[in-house]
Amino acid sequence: ASPFVLRARRSMDKTGMPWHLRYLGQPEIGDKNRHALVRNCVDIATSDNLTDFLVEMGFRMDHEFVAKGHVFRKGIMKIVVYKIFRILMPGNTESIEPLSLSYLVELNVVAPAGQDVVSDDMRNFAEQLKPLVHLEKIDPKRLM
Amino acid sequence: YHTAWAIGTQGQTGKLMYVMHNSEYPLSCFALFENGPCLVADANFDTLMVKLKGFFQNAKANKIESRGTRYQYCDFLVKLGTVTMGPSARGISVEVEYCPCVIANDCWNLLMEFMQSFMGSHTPGIPSVFGAKHDSVYSPGDTMVQYMELFNKIRKQQQVPVAGIR
Repeated sequence: ASPFVLRARRSMDKTGMPWHLRYLGQPEIGDKNRHALVRNCVDIATSDNLTDFLVEMGFRMDHEFVAKGHVFRKGIMKIVVYKIFRILMPGNTESIEPLSLSYLVELNVVAPAGQDVVSDDMRNFAEQLKPLVHLEKIDPKRLM
Repeated sequence: YHTAWAIGTQGQTGKLMYVMHNSEYPLSCFALFENGPCLVADANFDTLMVKLKGFFQNAKANKIESRGTRYQYCDFLVKLGTVTMGPSARGISVEVEYCPCVIANDCWNLLMEFMQSFMGSHTPGIPSVFGAKHDSVYSPGDTMVQYMELFNKIRKQQQVPVAGIR
């Protein structure tokens, strides 16, 4: 069985903000016809002892990274342009090195369940970014 | 009117995790381990627990709740509640809060004096959460830990046998 994955995230430049916990489900059936990857999503804001708590629950850390970049919004669409940094010593965000010289461009939307038409809006927007950026739907199974 | 309730679930590590709610913080959900961290999360945490139910043995039958009236007396908040486990009443809870102060140790004496005025000999000793905290800021998580300890104490008590009717 595939392991249960939770993602924990915090802001590095804004102290005192809650941590963000996210659960992403498997891609939905019928996903092949859609232009964007659609997954069930549960977002929870938490206090800053989240990592200690997850370990207590029985989770173990799989990987961690730092992302630095910019966030853009267009309606409910969010476009994030960021560079991924590898953390050289676990838990120490001061000593990091870039994973690559390029930036990753990610287009995502959090929408209420059933609003599949959103993926069409995403595809239309992605078309406008060509040839500067070529956005593709990813298959998470290939990456696991 | 106020409620505070807890459901315990057992994880794969064998540890018991309590998920608690408090009407004083209606948008929050508290998850805590005994002697462990207390996570404060928003209401979506319950949705996450539903997703995780395969990994936990839900002890829903163990839901314990304190429900009652909330009184405001100048700077004090007093919440009286009947503690129920399922259909049976198991005890009474009294929560006293001194609102202006956030450093626990600074107002314990005042709280004790206030409680003695209406609780007399039932006034409790200093809560264990104060011991660890000394001069640090009190937070809602500390309230939930105290409720958890109270609920556990009540849960372990023998149920009082019903008197026969003559």
